[in-house]
Amino acid sequence: MRFFRLFLSGLWLCAFAAHAGIPDYQDFPASGQRLLLWVASERGRSEPELVAARQLAAQGVEVWSLDSANAYFLPQVPSSMDALPAQDLAAWLRAAQASGKQVVVFAVARAAVPVLRAAALLESERRNRLCVVLMHPNLYTTAEPLDEPAYLDLGDLSGLRVRVLQPRRSAATPWLPGLLDHLARHGATVSDAILENLREGYWARETPTDFEIAESRRMDAMLLHQLETWGCK
Amino acid sequence: MQVRRILTGLAVGLLWITGAGAAGFETRAASPAPELKAHDLTGTPRTLADYRGKVVLLNFWATWCPPCQREMPSLERLRTKMAGRPLEIVAISSAETPDEVNAYLSKMKLGFPVLLDTDSSNTRRWKVFALPTTFVLDAEGRVRHVLTGPAEWDEGEALAVTESMLAELPAPAKQTK
Repeated sequence: MRFFRLFLSGLWLCAFAAHAGIPDYQDFPASGQRLLLWVASERGRSEPELVAARQLAAQGVEVWSLDSANAYFLPQVPSSMDALPAQDLAAWLRAAQASGKQVVVFAVARAAVPVLRAAALLESERRNRLCVVLMHPNLYTTAEPLDEPAYLDLGDLSGLRVRVLQPRRSAATPWLPGLLDHLARHGATVSDAILENLREGYWARETPTDFEIAESRRMDAMLLHQLETWGCK
Repeated sequence: MQVRRILTGLAVGLLWITGAGAAGFETRAASPAPELKAHDLTGTPRTLADYRGKVVLLNFWATWCPPCQREMPSLERLRTKMAGRPLEIVAISSAETPDEVNAYLSKMKLGFPVLLDTDSSNTRRWKVFALPTTFVLDAEGRVRHVLTGPAEWDEGEALAVTESMLAELPAPAKQTK
Protein backbone atom coordinates (compact mmCIF):
# COMPACT_ATOMS: atom_id res chain seq x y z
CA MET A 1 0.00 0.00 0.00
CA ARG A 2 2.82 2.34 0.98
CA PHE A 3 4.67 1.48 -2.20
CA PHE A 4 1.55 2.17 -4.23
CA ARG A 5 1.17 5.61 -2.59
CA LEU A 6 4.81 6.41 -3.24
CA PHE A 7 4.45 5.26 -6.83
CA LEU A 8 1.40 7.50 -7.33
CA SER A 9 3.14 10.47 -5.69
CA GLY A 10 6.12 9.91 -7.96
CA LEU A 11 3.93 9.81 -11.03
CA TRP A 12 2.22 13.00 -9.87
CA LEU A 13 5.51 14.80 -9.34
CA CYS A 14 6.87 13.59 -12.68
CA ALA A 15 3.76 14.83 -14.44
CA PHE A 16 4.20 18.29 -12.94
CA ALA A 17 7.96 18.39 -13.35
CA ALA A 18 7.58 17.52 -17.02
CA HIS A 19 5.25 20.44 -17.46
CA ALA A 20 6.77 23.06 -15.21
CA GLY A 21 6.28 26.47 -16.74
CA ILE A 22 3.87 27.21 -19.53
CA PRO A 23 1.43 24.35 -20.23
CA ASP A 24 1.24 22.69 -23.64
CA TYR A 25 -1.43 24.33 -25.74
CA GLN A 26 -2.56 24.31 -29.35
CA ASP A 27 -2.08 27.52 -31.29
CA PHE A 28 -4.45 28.70 -34.00
CA PRO A 29 -2.51 31.70 -35.36
CA ALA A 30 -4.19 34.78 -36.77
CA SER A 31 -3.02 38.26 -37.60
CA GLY A 32 -5.68 40.20 -35.71
CA GLN A 33 -5.17 42.14 -32.52
CA ARG A 34 -7.21 39.84 -30.33
CA LEU A 35 -5.86 36.70 -28.63
CA LEU A 36 -8.34 34.26 -27.08
CA LEU A 37 -7.06 31.75 -24.54
CA TRP A 38 -9.57 28.91 -24.65
CA VAL A 39 -9.39 26.66 -21.58
CA ALA A 40 -11.48 23.52 -21.99
CA SER A 41 -13.44 22.06 -19.11
CA GLU A 42 -12.33 19.20 -16.89
CA ARG A 43 -13.98 16.87 -19.43
CA GLY A 44 -11.36 17.76 -21.99
CA ARG A 45 -11.44 19.49 -25.35
CA SER A 46 -14.18 18.46 -27.75
CA GLU A 47 -14.22 18.61 -31.54
CA PRO A 48 -16.68 21.54 -31.74
CA GLU A 49 -14.25 23.57 -29.61
CA LEU A 50 -11.45 22.94 -32.09
CA VAL A 51 -13.75 23.83 -34.97
CA ALA A 52 -14.69 27.07 -33.22
CA ALA A 53 -11.00 27.86 -32.66
CA ARG A 54 -10.30 27.41 -36.39
CA GLN A 55 -13.29 29.56 -37.28
CA LEU A 56 -12.13 32.32 -34.94
CA ALA A 57 -8.62 32.20 -36.36
CA ALA A 58 -10.09 32.50 -39.86
CA GLN A 59 -11.76 35.69 -38.67
CA GLY A 60 -8.52 37.14 -37.34
CA VAL A 61 -8.78 36.09 -33.68
CA GLU A 62 -5.76 34.07 -32.61
CA VAL A 63 -6.66 31.18 -30.30
CA TRP A 64 -4.49 29.32 -27.83
CA SER A 65 -6.43 26.22 -26.92
CA LEU A 66 -5.58 24.46 -23.67
CA ASP A 67 -6.88 21.06 -22.61
CA SER A 68 -5.44 21.26 -19.13
CA ALA A 69 -6.54 17.84 -17.85
CA ASN A 70 -4.75 16.28 -20.80
CA ALA A 71 -1.74 18.61 -20.59
CA TYR A 72 -1.11 17.62 -16.98
CA PHE A 73 -2.14 13.95 -17.31
CA LEU A 74 -4.97 14.44 -14.85
CA PRO A 75 -8.26 12.53 -14.66
CA GLN A 76 -11.22 14.26 -16.28
CA VAL A 77 -12.94 15.26 -13.05
CA PRO A 78 -13.62 18.69 -11.50
CA SER A 79 -11.09 18.24 -8.68
CA SER A 80 -8.30 17.95 -11.27
CA MET A 81 -8.88 21.58 -12.17
CA ASP A 82 -8.33 22.59 -8.53
CA ALA A 83 -4.98 20.77 -8.59
CA LEU A 84 -3.59 22.64 -11.60
CA PRO A 85 -0.54 24.79 -10.83
CA ALA A 86 -1.81 28.36 -10.92
CA GLN A 87 1.78 29.60 -11.38
CA ASP A 88 1.96 27.80 -14.75
CA LEU A 89 -1.27 29.35 -15.91
CA ALA A 90 -0.15 32.76 -14.69
CA ALA A 91 3.02 32.33 -16.77
CA TRP A 92 0.82 31.42 -19.73
CA LEU A 93 -1.27 34.58 -19.23
CA ARG A 94 1.89 36.70 -19.05
CA ALA A 95 3.21 35.10 -22.24
CA ALA A 96 -0.08 35.87 -23.97
CA GLN A 97 0.01 39.48 -22.84
CA ALA A 98 3.62 39.74 -24.00
CA SER A 99 2.33 39.19 -27.54
CA GLY A 100 0.99 42.73 -27.41
CA LYS A 101 -2.47 41.55 -28.35
CA GLN A 102 -5.61 42.16 -26.38
CA VAL A 103 -6.01 38.97 -24.32
CA VAL A 104 -9.34 37.37 -23.46
CA VAL A 105 -9.54 34.12 -21.51
CA PHE A 106 -12.48 31.81 -22.13
CA ALA A 107 -12.75 29.08 -19.48
CA VAL A 108 -15.37 26.37 -19.25
CA ALA A 109 -16.93 24.88 -16.10
CA ARG A 110 -14.39 24.04 -13.35
CA ALA A 111 -11.53 25.36 -15.50
CA ALA A 112 -12.67 28.74 -14.20
CA VAL A 113 -10.93 27.93 -10.91
CA PRO A 114 -7.28 27.73 -12.11
CA VAL A 115 -7.85 30.63 -14.50
CA LEU A 116 -9.12 32.91 -11.75
CA ARG A 117 -6.39 31.80 -9.37
CA ALA A 118 -3.82 32.52 -12.06
CA ALA A 119 -5.35 35.94 -12.66
CA ALA A 120 -5.06 36.62 -8.93
CA LEU A 121 -1.32 35.94 -9.15
CA LEU A 122 -0.80 38.54 -11.87
CA GLU A 123 0.55 41.99 -11.19
CA SER A 124 -2.40 44.38 -10.85
CA GLU A 125 -1.45 46.25 -14.05
CA ARG A 126 -1.59 42.97 -16.00
CA ARG A 127 -4.84 41.91 -14.32
CA ASN A 128 -6.45 45.22 -15.24
CA ARG A 129 -5.75 44.49 -18.91
CA LEU A 130 -7.24 41.02 -18.84
CA CYS A 131 -10.77 40.04 -19.82
CA VAL A 132 -12.15 36.71 -18.62
CA VAL A 133 -15.24 34.99 -19.99
CA LEU A 134 -16.47 32.08 -17.89
CA MET A 135 -18.88 29.55 -19.39
CA HIS A 136 -21.13 28.11 -16.62
CA PRO A 137 -18.31 28.27 -14.04
CA ASN A 138 -18.32 25.90 -11.11
CA LEU A 139 -16.75 27.62 -8.11
CA TYR A 140 -18.34 25.58 -5.34
CA THR A 141 -16.48 23.91 -2.51
CA THR A 142 -19.74 22.36 -1.35
CA ALA A 143 -23.27 22.56 -2.66
CA GLU A 144 -25.48 20.20 -0.69
CA PRO A 145 -29.28 20.19 -0.60
CA LEU A 146 -30.81 22.26 2.22
CA ASP A 147 -27.46 23.95 2.98
CA GLU A 148 -26.03 27.27 1.88
CA PRO A 149 -23.51 26.87 -0.95
CA ALA A 150 -19.85 27.47 -0.16
CA TYR A 151 -17.46 28.87 -2.75
CA LEU A 152 -13.73 28.55 -3.25
CA ASP A 153 -11.35 31.26 -2.19
CA LEU A 154 -9.95 32.66 -5.42
CA GLY A 155 -7.51 35.30 -4.22
CA ASP A 156 -7.44 38.98 -5.12
CA LEU A 157 -9.31 39.64 -8.36
CA SER A 158 -9.44 43.42 -8.07
CA GLY A 159 -9.40 45.07 -11.46
CA LEU A 160 -10.27 41.86 -13.30
CA ARG A 161 -13.20 42.07 -15.68
CA VAL A 162 -15.27 38.88 -15.73
CA ARG A 163 -18.28 37.98 -17.84
CA VAL A 164 -20.24 34.86 -16.94
CA LEU A 165 -22.14 33.03 -19.68
CA GLN A 166 -24.85 30.86 -18.18
CA PRO A 167 -26.97 28.48 -20.27
CA ARG A 168 -30.57 28.87 -19.11
CA ARG A 169 -31.21 25.13 -18.88
CA SER A 170 -28.99 24.45 -15.93
CA ALA A 171 -29.49 23.75 -12.24
CA ALA A 172 -26.89 26.47 -11.66
CA THR A 173 -28.98 29.25 -13.25
CA PRO A 174 -31.01 30.04 -10.09
CA TRP A 175 -27.70 30.37 -8.23
CA LEU A 176 -26.08 32.79 -10.68
CA PRO A 177 -26.61 35.90 -8.50
CA GLY A 178 -24.72 34.27 -5.61
CA LEU A 179 -21.85 33.32 -7.90
CA LEU A 180 -21.63 36.86 -9.29
CA ASP A 181 -21.63 38.24 -5.74
CA HIS A 182 -18.80 35.89 -4.83
CA LEU A 183 -16.70 37.10 -7.76
CA ALA A 184 -17.49 40.71 -6.90
CA ARG A 185 -16.46 40.14 -3.28
CA HIS A 186 -13.05 39.07 -4.58
CA GLY A 187 -12.79 42.39 -6.39
CA ALA A 188 -13.78 41.40 -9.93
CA THR A 189 -15.98 43.60 -12.07
CA VAL A 190 -18.69 41.20 -13.19
CA SER A 191 -21.37 41.00 -15.81
CA ASP A 192 -23.39 38.09 -17.14
CA ALA A 193 -25.41 36.83 -20.05
CA ILE A 194 -28.00 34.05 -20.13
CA LEU A 195 -27.82 31.73 -23.12
CA GLU A 196 -31.42 30.80 -23.84
CA ASN A 197 -32.59 27.26 -24.69
CA LEU A 198 -29.18 25.75 -24.04
CA ARG A 199 -27.79 23.33 -21.49
CA GLU A 200 -24.34 23.30 -19.94
CA GLY A 201 -21.73 21.90 -22.33
CA TYR A 202 -24.30 21.99 -25.15
CA TRP A 203 -21.57 21.46 -27.77
CA ALA A 204 -20.62 18.07 -26.32
CA ARG A 205 -23.95 16.58 -25.29
CA GLU A 206 -24.80 12.92 -25.95
CA THR A 207 -28.34 13.77 -26.99
CA PRO A 208 -28.28 17.37 -28.19
CA THR A 209 -31.39 19.16 -29.36
CA ASP A 210 -31.49 20.54 -32.89
CA PHE A 211 -30.97 24.00 -31.45
CA GLU A 212 -27.94 22.87 -29.45
CA ILE A 213 -26.41 21.29 -32.57
CA ALA A 214 -26.91 24.52 -34.47
CA GLU A 215 -25.47 26.61 -31.64
CA SER A 216 -22.45 24.35 -31.22
CA ARG A 217 -21.59 25.08 -34.86
CA ARG A 218 -21.63 28.81 -34.25
CA MET A 219 -19.74 29.08 -31.00
CA ASP A 220 -17.31 31.41 -32.76
CA ALA A 221 -20.12 33.82 -33.63
CA MET A 222 -21.58 33.55 -30.13
CA LEU A 223 -18.23 34.39 -28.54
CA LEU A 224 -17.53 37.29 -30.88
CA HIS A 225 -21.02 38.62 -30.22
CA GLN A 226 -20.46 38.37 -26.46
CA LEU A 227 -17.11 40.16 -26.72
CA GLU A 228 -18.65 42.95 -28.78
CA THR A 229 -21.63 43.29 -26.45
CA TRP A 230 -19.42 43.28 -23.39
CA GLY A 231 -16.94 45.75 -24.80
CA CYS A 232 -13.98 44.59 -22.70
CA LYS A 233 -10.92 46.07 -24.35
CA MET B 1 -46.48 0.25 19.04
CA GLN B 2 -43.50 -1.91 19.91
CA VAL B 3 -44.07 -4.04 16.80
CA ARG B 4 -44.05 -0.87 14.69
CA ARG B 5 -40.74 0.20 16.22
CA ILE B 6 -39.25 -3.23 15.59
CA LEU B 7 -40.46 -3.23 11.98
CA THR B 8 -39.07 0.27 11.42
CA GLY B 9 -35.78 -0.77 12.97
CA LEU B 10 -35.65 -3.84 10.75
CA ALA B 11 -36.46 -1.79 7.65
CA VAL B 12 -33.77 0.78 8.46
CA GLY B 13 -31.32 -2.03 9.26
CA LEU B 14 -32.12 -3.69 5.95
CA LEU B 15 -31.57 -0.38 4.18
CA TRP B 16 -28.19 -0.03 5.83
CA ILE B 17 -27.21 -3.59 4.95
CA THR B 18 -28.38 -3.32 1.34
CA GLY B 19 -26.47 -0.06 1.10
CA ALA B 20 -29.14 2.57 0.51
CA GLY B 21 -26.40 5.07 1.20
CA ALA B 22 -24.43 3.69 -1.71
CA ALA B 23 -27.25 4.69 -4.06
CA GLY B 24 -26.83 8.25 -2.84
CA PHE B 25 -29.62 8.44 -0.29
CA GLU B 26 -28.64 10.70 2.52
CA THR B 27 -30.50 10.25 5.77
CA ARG B 28 -31.33 13.45 7.63
CA ALA B 29 -32.19 13.93 11.27
CA ALA B 30 -35.89 14.75 10.88
CA SER B 31 -35.29 18.42 10.15
CA PRO B 32 -38.17 20.79 9.45
CA ALA B 33 -38.71 21.22 5.72
CA PRO B 34 -38.33 24.61 4.09
CA GLU B 35 -41.49 26.30 2.93
CA LEU B 36 -43.04 24.98 -0.27
CA LYS B 37 -45.04 27.63 -2.05
CA ALA B 38 -45.95 26.75 -5.61
CA HIS B 39 -48.82 26.45 -8.06
CA ASP B 40 -49.96 23.38 -9.90
CA LEU B 41 -50.71 23.39 -13.62
CA THR B 42 -54.28 24.54 -13.03
CA GLY B 43 -52.99 27.56 -11.12
CA THR B 44 -54.05 26.24 -7.70
CA PRO B 45 -51.63 27.23 -4.92
CA ARG B 46 -49.97 24.30 -3.15
CA THR B 47 -48.04 23.99 0.09
CA LEU B 48 -46.74 21.05 2.11
CA ALA B 49 -49.80 21.34 4.36
CA ASP B 50 -51.82 19.88 1.47
CA TYR B 51 -49.96 16.58 1.93
CA ARG B 52 -49.74 16.46 5.74
CA GLY B 53 -50.31 12.98 7.15
CA LYS B 54 -48.69 11.34 4.13
CA VAL B 55 -45.17 10.40 3.20
CA VAL B 56 -44.10 12.77 0.42
CA LEU B 57 -41.54 12.31 -2.34
CA LEU B 58 -40.81 15.85 -3.44
CA ASN B 59 -38.92 15.64 -6.71
CA PHE B 60 -37.20 18.72 -8.17
CA TRP B 61 -36.75 18.18 -11.92
CA ALA B 62 -36.70 19.86 -15.31
CA THR B 63 -37.94 18.82 -18.73
CA TRP B 64 -34.50 19.39 -20.30
CA CYS B 65 -32.70 17.16 -17.79
CA PRO B 66 -32.01 13.63 -19.15
CA PRO B 67 -31.65 11.88 -15.74
CA CYS B 68 -34.94 13.47 -14.67
CA GLN B 69 -36.62 12.12 -17.79
CA ARG B 70 -35.13 8.70 -17.16
CA GLU B 71 -36.57 8.37 -13.66
CA MET B 72 -40.05 9.77 -14.40
CA PRO B 73 -41.52 6.43 -15.60
CA SER B 74 -40.37 4.76 -12.38
CA LEU B 75 -42.06 7.47 -10.30
CA GLU B 76 -45.25 6.84 -12.22
CA ARG B 77 -44.93 3.09 -11.68
CA LEU B 78 -44.39 3.75 -7.97
CA ARG B 79 -47.59 5.78 -7.88
CA THR B 80 -49.51 2.86 -9.37
CA LYS B 81 -47.84 0.36 -7.09
CA MET B 82 -48.63 2.42 -3.97
CA ALA B 83 -52.23 3.23 -4.88
CA GLY B 84 -54.34 3.43 -1.72
CA ARG B 85 -51.35 3.94 0.54
CA PRO B 86 -50.51 7.27 2.20
CA LEU B 87 -47.81 8.31 -0.23
CA GLU B 88 -47.82 11.49 -2.29
CA ILE B 89 -45.41 11.93 -5.17
CA VAL B 90 -45.01 15.59 -6.02
CA ALA B 91 -42.83 16.73 -8.90
CA ILE B 92 -41.81 20.37 -8.98
CA SER B 93 -40.40 21.73 -12.19
CA SER B 94 -37.43 23.98 -11.48
CA ALA B 95 -37.26 27.34 -13.23
CA GLU B 96 -39.42 26.43 -16.21
CA THR B 97 -42.47 27.98 -17.79
CA PRO B 98 -45.92 26.33 -17.81
CA ASP B 99 -45.60 25.95 -21.60
CA GLU B 100 -42.38 23.97 -21.29
CA VAL B 101 -43.87 21.68 -18.66
CA ASN B 102 -47.15 21.20 -20.53
CA ALA B 103 -45.28 20.36 -23.73
CA TYR B 104 -43.43 17.60 -21.88
CA LEU B 105 -46.55 16.29 -20.16
CA SER B 106 -48.36 16.05 -23.48
CA LYS B 107 -45.89 13.27 -24.34
CA MET B 108 -45.35 11.80 -20.88
CA LYS B 109 -48.53 11.11 -18.95
CA LEU B 110 -48.06 11.40 -15.19
CA GLY B 111 -50.73 10.68 -12.60
CA PHE B 112 -49.12 12.60 -9.75
CA PRO B 113 -49.19 16.36 -9.18
CA VAL B 114 -46.69 18.49 -11.05
CA LEU B 115 -46.00 21.91 -9.57
CA LEU B 116 -44.36 24.94 -11.14
CA ASP B 117 -41.40 26.84 -9.75
CA THR B 118 -41.10 29.28 -12.59
CA ASP B 119 -39.30 31.94 -10.54
CA SER B 120 -37.08 29.24 -8.94
CA SER B 121 -37.88 30.55 -5.46
CA ASN B 122 -38.57 27.02 -4.15
CA THR B 123 -35.40 25.69 -5.79
CA ARG B 124 -33.42 28.32 -3.90
CA ARG B 125 -35.31 27.88 -0.63
CA TRP B 126 -34.70 24.11 -0.68
CA LYS B 127 -31.09 24.69 -1.78
CA VAL B 128 -31.29 22.47 -4.83
CA PHE B 129 -28.04 22.56 -6.81
CA ALA B 130 -28.49 19.57 -9.08
CA LEU B 131 -31.39 17.94 -10.89
CA PRO B 132 -33.07 15.71 -10.09
CA THR B 133 -33.01 16.12 -6.32
CA THR B 134 -35.66 14.32 -4.28
CA PHE B 135 -36.63 14.92 -0.68
CA VAL B 136 -38.41 12.17 1.23
CA LEU B 137 -40.62 13.75 3.87
CA ASP B 138 -42.38 12.03 6.72
CA ALA B 139 -46.05 12.48 7.58
CA GLU B 140 -45.18 15.49 9.77
CA GLY B 141 -43.55 17.23 6.83
CA ARG B 142 -39.98 16.73 8.04
CA VAL B 143 -37.11 15.95 5.67
CA ARG B 144 -35.86 12.42 6.37
CA HIS B 145 -33.93 11.43 3.26
CA VAL B 146 -32.40 13.30 0.34
CA LEU B 147 -31.31 11.87 -2.98
CA THR B 148 -29.30 13.87 -5.49
CA GLY B 149 -29.51 12.17 -8.86
CA PRO B 150 -31.93 9.71 -10.41
CA ALA B 151 -33.32 6.43 -9.06
CA GLU B 152 -35.54 3.58 -10.12
CA TRP B 153 -38.20 4.49 -7.62
CA ASP B 154 -40.32 1.36 -7.82
CA GLU B 155 -37.57 -1.09 -6.93
CA GLY B 156 -34.46 -1.73 -4.87
CA GLU B 157 -33.15 0.77 -2.39
CA ALA B 158 -35.42 3.65 -3.39
CA LEU B 159 -38.47 1.50 -2.82
CA ALA B 160 -37.03 0.31 0.50
CA VAL B 161 -36.59 3.91 1.65
CA THR B 162 -40.21 4.68 0.78
CA GLU B 163 -41.45 1.53 2.49
CA SER B 164 -39.44 2.32 5.62
CA MET B 165 -41.10 5.71 5.81
CA LEU B 166 -44.54 4.20 5.35
CA ALA B 167 -43.78 1.63 8.05
CA GLU B 168 -43.38 4.47 10.55
CA LEU B 169 -46.97 5.57 10.13
CA PRO B 170 -49.60 4.55 12.70
CA ALA B 171 -51.55 1.49 11.53
CA PRO B 172 -54.80 3.22 10.48
CA ALA B 173 -52.89 5.62 8.25
CA LYS B 174 -51.11 2.87 6.34
CA GLN B 175 -54.04 2.35 3.99
CA THR B 176 -56.09 5.13 2.54
CA LYS B 177 -59.37 4.79 0.68
